[in-house]
Amino acid sequence: MTLLQSVKNLVRSRSIHVCYVDTGSCNGCDIEVLACLAPRYDLEQYGIYVHNNPREADVLLVIGGVTPQWEDKLKMIWDKMPEPKAAVAIGNCAISGCVFNRPQSLTNPPVRKHIPVAAEVPGCPPRPTEIISAILSVRDLIFKDWETKR
Amino acid sequence: MKKTVDVSIPLGPMHPVWKEPCRLKCETIGERVVKAEMELGYMKKGIERIMKGRPWQEVMFLAERVCGICSVIHNMVFIEAMEKMSDIEVPDRAAYLRVVANELDRIASHLIANFSYCYTIEHETLGMYLLNTRETVMDLLEKLTGARVTCSYMVPGGVRFDLLDEDKTDMVIALDKVESEIRRYMQMFDEGPLIALRSVGVGTLTSEQALEGHAVGPTARASGIEYDVRSNHPTYQKLNFHPIVRTGGDNHARIMIRFDEVLQSVSLIKAAITTLPQGLIRGGGVMKKGSIVYAGEAPRGELTYHIKADSFGRIQEIYIQTPSIMNIEACVHYMIPESYSIADVSATYISADPCIACTER
Amino acid sequence: MTSVSAYIKQMLTKDWAHNFLNAKTAPLESPSYFRGTPHLTGKECTHCFQCMMICPSPGAIEVMKNDENGGWAPVIHDGHCIRCGLCVEICPELVLEAGRVHAMNVHDETYMQFTFHIQVNPVTCMGCGNCSVACPVNKEIDPSLAAKGTSSSDDVIMRVDKGLMTVLHEDKCTGCKTCEEQCPTGSIMVARVLEPLQLVES
Repeated sequence: MTLLQSVKNLVRSRSIHVCYVDTGSCNGCDIEVLACLAPRYDLEQYGIYVHNNPREADVLLVIGGVTPQWEDKLKMIWDKMPEPKAAVAIGNCAISGCVFNRPQSLTNPPVRKHIPVAAEVPGCPPRPTEIISAILSVRDLIFKDWETKR
Repeated sequence: MKKTVDVSIPLGPMHPVWKEPCRLKCETIGERVVKAEMELGYMKKGIERIMKGRPWQEVMFLAERVCGICSVIHNMVFIEAMEKMSDIEVPDRAAYLRVVANELDRIASHLIANFSYCYTIEHETLGMYLLNTRETVMDLLEKLTGARVTCSYMVPGGVRFDLLDEDKTDMVIALDKVESEIRRYMQMFDEGPLIALRSVGVGTLTSEQALEGHAVGPTARASGIEYDVRSNHPTYQKLNFHPIVRTGGDNHARIMIRFDEVLQSVSLIKAAITTLPQGLIRGGGVMKKGSIVYAGEAPRGELTYHIKADSFGRIQEIYIQTPSIMNIEACVHYMIPESYSIADVSATYISADPCIACTER
Repeated sequence: MTSVSAYIKQMLTKDWAHNFLNAKTAPLESPSYFRGTPHLTGKECTHCFQCMMICPSPGAIEVMKNDENGGWAPVIHDGHCIRCGLCVEICPELVLEAGRVHAMNVHDETYMQFTFHIQVNPVTCMGCGNCSVACPVNKEIDPSLAAKGTSSSDDVIMRVDKGLMTVLHEDKCTGCKTCEEQCPTGSIMVARVLEPLQLVES
């Protein structure tokens, strides 16, 4: 591994820009992501900034079961993001549909049918401590040796 | 030739500061907004269709997940409607514990609404202070019910868990701290010049306009209309509840009335804890056939459930009427066309506290 | 000017200086009273399947047989479980625990009770006997039901009598809804009635 690649690995794991999109959820997971930004469980101390702009984001947080109106718009947002990029699914609705996974509902779960997902955080909703533990355990591995895997 | 409209600006589903997707189209002449239109439909999941034919132990969890911010009141209105339809009695201790859980969730919801407003007017520091206070309240809710959001605490006939004595003293100490912090924030909101520039006199809603536009909840109470569904509930009548009213109808009045309601909730919880009667927490009872229309007071307004059930308590028809759609109507028709410039539209819309997940279930 | 002096007055307190110099975020662990995903306690499971019947989320809990010693145990899938705690409250053998749900049940002496009712629609029922052949309790009582739909024993839950399905012993039903899935016209329905109760001191 060259010196340049190890410098790139270090920088990409310590400074991450995040954009989140809500594709039809109950807002519970949204509130817990906001509670991560509160001063009690500070997310910005690890170098993670929430700017909500897909053009300058590295990681996309997807929340909610995908409703029919969001299927094409989610792909558009994923295509707008520049490489290297990754998607993280938060909450049960994005993983399997939770209680809405019945034949009569209008949702189309899971999210990994529409865009490739790198990590998943289960829970309804997951506690802020669980979200931060999951992100910390995965931030070294998401962009490691990105150029050699292409 | 008379110019009708200069340009139509869409404030789209993905917005940097809005949390939920909806589309707001504003038609402007110069910088003044003359007409606004709302397009919804990005969060419709068909919850009422899933609920048909299921018993209460599955519908209760679906009703809670209609909206995650006001989940305790959906639980309470659904269970109380089913109890009234089947003539099930609730013991006194359970009724007081239900009021405690309901008011704790109301404080959390009002603080997140005010944080959303501060974030929209780019005053992030003040928003972070409010979120910090909210964490104390979520800790209390977790000690009582076991979860922070979507608690599923109430069952037909009573509640699920009891309040231990050591948790009671913790609660009183924490609520005193919350009260002193909220009084400090109210002073900051009243005296700060930045907040007054973007809130006082912006997005006014007179009381005649509020009645015409069918506004409910704190949005209507900030314009002088005195109406609160909690005045008809027997447990709240025992705790001497009276609604709070402010005149003014602008953004500033709507923010301050939410702080007033937080202080009122703190005093209601303290009164309920100190006069908590001894006894059982579950009364038992089975569901019977019937139909009912029942209303409760959510943090955003009046919430109504229309339920029809068959002989074993399975739901046949259900319709949920949520408060946010009426507040959005009043906002889009009366508050936004009076804005001085397009820069005030975002702040005015957030100050009416919309909850799009409730609106389209 | 009043706001500046208010800020300076606040900064000169001892509390503020202590908080400023020793600021730390909260540790990343959940408290003991948080109701997480249920875990096994090690007690013996009698495969009564009541936890599967009360679960509101599809595909979250499955009771499966271990291959090693032939014992049964429930398996909970993380991405589907909504952490409601109902399976902890209804289990009669105390196999599951989440947070302090079971400890509070012992402290308050509360429990939940299931009763099952069977309803047959006489207009659409064509008397084919699929339901009485599929019912596992029926097969245990009268083994000849594995071959045909009518039975001469009076102990079974239901049987075809004069061209219509009649229910004899509703209290033996365990609520698995196999008859409802096998009916070709949708004429039989099982109601799972749940009642939350508390022991009354006499």
